[in-house]
Amino acid sequence: MSHFLDRLLFFRKNVDTFSSDHGVVTNEDRTWEKAYRGRWSHDRVVRSTHGANCTGSCSWKIYVKGGIVTWETQQTDYPRTRPDLPNHEPRGCSRGASYSWYLYSGNRVKYPMVRGRLLRLWREAKARHTDPVLAWKSIVDDPKASASYKSVRGLGGFVRSTWDEVEEIVAAANVHTVKTHGPDRVIGFSPIPAMSMVSYAAGSRYLSLIGGVCMSFYDWYCDLPPSSPQTWGEQTDVPESADWYNSSFLILWGSNVPQTRTPDAHFFTEVRYKGAKAVVVTPDYSEASKFADAWLPAKQGTDAALAMAMGHVILREFYLDKPRPYFTGYAKKFTDLPFLVRLVERDGRYVADRLVRASDFADALGEVNNPDWKTVAIDEASGSVVAPAGSVGFRWGEKGRWNLEEKDGKGKAVDLRLSTLGIHDDVVGVGFPYFGGQKHPHFTESAHDDVLERRVPARRLRLKDGEALVATVYDLLLANYGLDRGLGGDNVAKSYDDDVPYTPAWQEKITGVDRRLAIQTAREFADNAEKTEGKSMVIIGAAMNHWYHSDMNYRSVINMLVLCGCVGKSGGGWSHYVGQEKLRPQPGWTALAFALDWNRPPRQMNSTSFFYNHTSQWRHERLAVSEILSPLADKAKYGGSLIDFNVRSERMGWLPSAPQLETNPIELTKQAAAAGQEPAPYAIGRLKDGTLRFSAESPDDPRNFPRNLFVWRSNLLGSSGKGHEYFLKYLLGTSHGVQGKDLGAEGGEKPLEVEWKEKGAQGKLDLLVTLDFRMSTTCLYSDIVLPTATWYEKHDLNTSDMHPFIHPLSAAVNPVWQSRSDWDIFKGVARKFSEVAKGHLGVEKDLVLTPIMHDSPGEIAQPFEPKDWKRGECDPVPGKTMPSMTVVERDYPATYAKFTALGPLMSKIGNGGKGIAWNTQHEVEALAKLNGVVSAPGVAQGQPRIETDIDAAETILMLAPETNGEVAVKAWAALGQATGREHTHLARTREDEKLRFRDLQAQPRKIISSPTWSGIESEHVTYNAGYTNVHELIPWRTLTGRQQLYQDHPWMRDFGEALCLYKPPIDTRTTASLYGSRSNGNKELVLNFITPHQKWGIHSTYTDNLLMLTLSRGGPIVWISEVDAKDAGIVDNDWIEAFNINGALVARAVVSQRVPKGMVLMYHAQEKIVNVPGSEITGARGGIHNSVTRACPKPTHMIGGYAQLSYGFNYHGTIGTNRDEFVIVRKMSNVDWLEKPLAQAEKVGA
Amino acid sequence: MRLSLKALSALLTYPTADLAMAIPEIRDALADDAALSGRRIAALSPLLNRLGNRETMPAEEAYVGLFDRSRMLSLHLFEHVHGESRDRGQAMVDLLGLYESGGYFVEADELPDYLPLFVEFLSTRPEAEARESLGDVAHILNAMHVRLKGRDPAYAAVLGALLELAGEPVEAEAAEAVDDGPDALDRAWEEIAVTFGPEGNREQAGCGKVAGMLERMRAQ
Repeated sequence: MSHFLDRLLFFRKNVDTFSSDHGVVTNEDRTWEKAYRGRWSHDRVVRSTHGANCTGSCSWKIYVKGGIVTWETQQTDYPRTRPDLPNHEPRGCSRGASYSWYLYSGNRVKYPMVRGRLLRLWREAKARHTDPVLAWKSIVDDPKASASYKSVRGLGGFVRSTWDEVEEIVAAANVHTVKTHGPDRVIGFSPIPAMSMVSYAAGSRYLSLIGGVCMSFYDWYCDLPPSSPQTWGEQTDVPESADWYNSSFLILWGSNVPQTRTPDAHFFTEVRYKGAKAVVVTPDYSEASKFADAWLPAKQGTDAALAMAMGHVILREFYLDKPRPYFTGYAKKFTDLPFLVRLVERDGRYVADRLVRASDFADALGEVNNPDWKTVAIDEASGSVVAPAGSVGFRWGEKGRWNLEEKDGKGKAVDLRLSTLGIHDDVVGVGFPYFGGQKHPHFTESAHDDVLERRVPARRLRLKDGEALVATVYDLLLANYGLDRGLGGDNVAKSYDDDVPYTPAWQEKITGVDRRLAIQTAREFADNAEKTEGKSMVIIGAAMNHWYHSDMNYRSVINMLVLCGCVGKSGGGWSHYVGQEKLRPQPGWTALAFALDWNRPPRQMNSTSFFYNHTSQWRHERLAVSEILSPLADKAKYGGSLIDFNVRSERMGWLPSAPQLETNPIELTKQAAAAGQEPAPYAIGRLKDGTLRFSAESPDDPRNFPRNLFVWRSNLLGSSGKGHEYFLKYLLGTSHGVQGKDLGAEGGEKPLEVEWKEKGAQGKLDLLVTLDFRMSTTCLYSDIVLPTATWYEKHDLNTSDMHPFIHPLSAAVNPVWQSRSDWDIFKGVARKFSEVAKGHLGVEKDLVLTPIMHDSPGEIAQPFEPKDWKRGECDPVPGKTMPSMTVVERDYPATYAKFTALGPLMSKIGNGGKGIAWNTQHEVEALAKLNGVVSAPGVAQGQPRIETDIDAAETILMLAPETNGEVAVKAWAALGQATGREHTHLARTREDEKLRFRDLQAQPRKIISSPTWSGIESEHVTYNAGYTNVHELIPWRTLTGRQQLYQDHPWMRDFGEALCLYKPPIDTRTTASLYGSRSNGNKELVLNFITPHQKWGIHSTYTDNLLMLTLSRGGPIVWISEVDAKDAGIVDNDWIEAFNINGALVARAVVSQRVPKGMVLMYHAQEKIVNVPGSEITGARGGIHNSVTRACPKPTHMIGGYAQLSYGFNYHGTIGTNRDEFVIVRKMSNVDWLEKPLAQAEKVGA
Repeated sequence: MRLSLKALSALLTYPTADLAMAIPEIRDALADDAALSGRRIAALSPLLNRLGNRETMPAEEAYVGLFDRSRMLSLHLFEHVHGESRDRGQAMVDLLGLYESGGYFVEADELPDYLPLFVEFLSTRPEAEARESLGDVAHILNAMHVRLKGRDPAYAAVLGALLELAGEPVEAEAAEAVDDGPDALDRAWEEIAVTFGPEGNREQAGCGKVAGMLERMRAQ
């Protein structure tokens, strides 16, 4: 018997154990697994990301089930990198992983909300007036009525409304404001377009169409390092994080990569395994310190002293003792070090003056075009003075010679001399300003004379105004660093141990860093750079940029990089990672965002100057200009206070103005017509005779108030508003915590250019509208809150500087409750505005003032001493000595039609960016085919449609060189005309590529190399800033066309920053008058107040998320050192208060060894909305990290019309520094949660 | 009970002019339906008076202040159960399934766990089922009831009424003091430690035979 039939052919018996008893079969009920399987089942997966200004731009899979977002996981399908480079993923962090919570959170804004008191007034007014504009007018014209809702801003009292109703209120307010006060009184603040560029464009397009003002963010956030435009003529351009992997020596300077660049940190970890050395410079023992082979704990705010000392070592050993050809070769070709500076005699000594120009010579060195703007150097071979090609004078008015080819203007080869030593005619004593001896109550000074005279080799030249002494920037730089070159004289160091600025020994006293560590780091940094030709990198944290003298911190580090030839080199350079500033498809986006397709120019304003002015922070200014002026400057020339400098700057056309002028610009053109004049000459005439002033000259006059403010994609009041309490007091007119008195009450020195009114205006804003998906602090202070779609409910685009991919945001589900995408919200407002405008506004002429713009032919405005027309020093000439003036025609009832279609100017004028322009007709035709055209009769008939957010995204992608290869080739060709070189090879290989929105949803796509940026996208190198300058010989967009280490503008020289040096923090004087005067019985300490980025949130986003709150301390916290805590009787988790004359904040104490004595650290940004009790000082709820700050602008950031120092939106201008601030810290004795009803609270407040 | 549930659902919605107009109808329905005790109906009076006011703005401000601004009083049931947890999405999906099995699709711009929506659904269900489902969320209703008593007693009455319909005791009326001190919060949020493997709770360990298997392997 074979037992054939007993054997099973297809089955085996379920057995008890298997694999030699290592496995066991069980038979219990397994239905529980269904829940698990069901848990991980889903209907679809959608790609999106989080638009949180974190630079992550991480790809996420959003799982949707039954129309509900159930969870998200990290997407892992980025395009692979090349074989020698780790892949990008996984990207993402704990914050993004908790985002799906926001959709359904109790904190979500679900309906359009209006402040109850305002809505009641509105409905009453509407009952009396059928015309909504008249209804709005009746409210704002009634001081009692308007005060009734303004004064309760931030105190609750919201009710739900409908979209119809809120659109009508907003539109009516905008129409009334445009008509009565002017379009430049309608303001919009939205930051970081790169994190959701269509959503940004929605609001900015609407504003630009009606003539409203778009506000900058980058400078206001203090993410803008002015050192970057100063040195490179570039807003900020940095290597992508993958390029860290190409480096072999990395300094993390004030940057906390693992905590704040979480998805990129792996490249840092990986490169250390490859053998790269890591040095960390931070005052606290931060998370980044764990990366460190060496940790240099420089005292906060003194980084420049350390970097100057390192520069001293680099110059000593690698330039003087044993010059390295790689370094000197790089310095000759790519820096301004060989260029000549005039030395002038003042008070018995020489001082360095401006750079010599071709026009200084009788024959202008043969240069006919812009000789005032062509800088000169000495040719090594001939010994004669030449004007090398590439300076800004070659950029405008001629073609083909704006390059770095080592030729002079006539094409003759030149080899520039770094030093005149050896061919010098004289060695003279030159005075250098020294600030390191200034006393500060909390920082150590190093006493030396305030002018240090050092011996510099000089040449005598015959110029057209006589004989002059000149020196190279290089020789001045060596002297400035205090290096002994055997030329005799004082103030130079033979040894690193000499106490002479800027030796390693000198810095030790100031920074606390062991001189040996400073020397070793500098030496190894340079040595590595020499051996690898530039693969030394500094990852610099914006923390260092948040000091008043940010430029010194940054330029001292930039000097190290430039001197070591690291900029523009793979694996080297300056990695300044801040907000998500890099909007890669920029030229496509600007057209859409600023409605350049319909009218040009748009109105744009630099926020720091705006807020300093209109939140009346200037009324409380305590920093005198004389304190920051160079000892070498003529003090008589620099009278007045900081606000005066800003006013002068606006008048001279350096910085923008908003509101512009006292008179409504629409009204002004009518007045001009009545006077029978063109608007511009009419306005100039009235400005000249004083019957018309800039708004900035009298900010407390109601004619100059900003009236309507839109805030979207931003938490202006809860996160980014420096001088928070001043915003509340002056702009909003509600309860506030300002403790100090203004200059009037204090008897301080009043401004010269600004009209002083005894009582500062309060409650300037008539309407504050905020779009958000969560009830942020800004929402709480708003009059109208509009529920916006989250990042899983809308279509949009996102790019970052950390990786080269463009990424979509996608609607995984429809917006829940009544929320709408920003695009739909502004579209709705535009529609209603067009309706409501009828009868009030028709086709109007608007006079638009624009500052002298960087990357435009106007940027070479005043080559020498700046002249002010108001003081009669010159004539007011628009675009030269004052702002440009353009009449823009606005068809107000057609606003909606224009909003939803691509206007004709793209075909007529073309597109461009950063000083180059190209024809874009072909793209417009392609877009018409893709999006369809408008069929309805009217201004937009036949134009490509931009109806939906996807249409808007396609518009950006089609027009931008970064996402349309054909445009990229055109753009490179356009640049080639200026440089006379062939660059199109950088994009040829991708000419046929046109990225579409759905392509990005399929997989993140690498962008295409474009002249908008200074690096390239390629399969051979990772993105690195300055790459095309060094490898394509495209000049930097500066005065010399090289990396500009010598800043020769008169204001730069007079404020002591021609060359980099160390300046101690400023004294803000905010604690002395309060110290001990409001005692609660507990000991008070005065500590430096630092606000780094956190681990449990991205700025304020996620900080109201219970997951993140649980991981941290569940509310606002302030970190304090063990020593200080013990001194003040504070133990961990105590409630403490930090306050000064700007305001107060409350938080729990985190007592930690991480923090050095003398400072406290409060993470940016924790809001008032979670777990914040009342302050003992103000009696109001808590306060936030910005409650104790006040913006303080710097005159050198106001310079304009001077090559790289010319205005550009988010490119250059005043910045919102805040780290010089000190607070009084003490334990609280009474924690009051202030849970009173409004009526009672109002009484108490009154 | 059907009418009472529908009426209580309406009382928890946003106080609009429509709702104000419907207050007399709601009053009658509560009386006619007689599912609630006289005491509960009387307790609803202050809210009915407030919501019946033609000038709805004060009632709207109060409603927003309570339910839109405070997570503790969220009318979304899962805010109290799952909070920020990822389980929330699945729980909502399950709830949608429940409504669909009852023959209903959610039409409003609302989430499935919105209490007035949930109660309205129950008003379409057989009484016993409605009572049972209401009983399932009684702990949430009780918690909200306690919190509302301190903030706005008029609204607390609605929760009291729902609990009565569920046949559940109303805890706050047992005169228990509300403990929201830090220790109570810590207790409420404390996670129970999970012990893996056979040394832990055998019931929890999932696979009962593992222990035996390990013993066998050790013996070898």
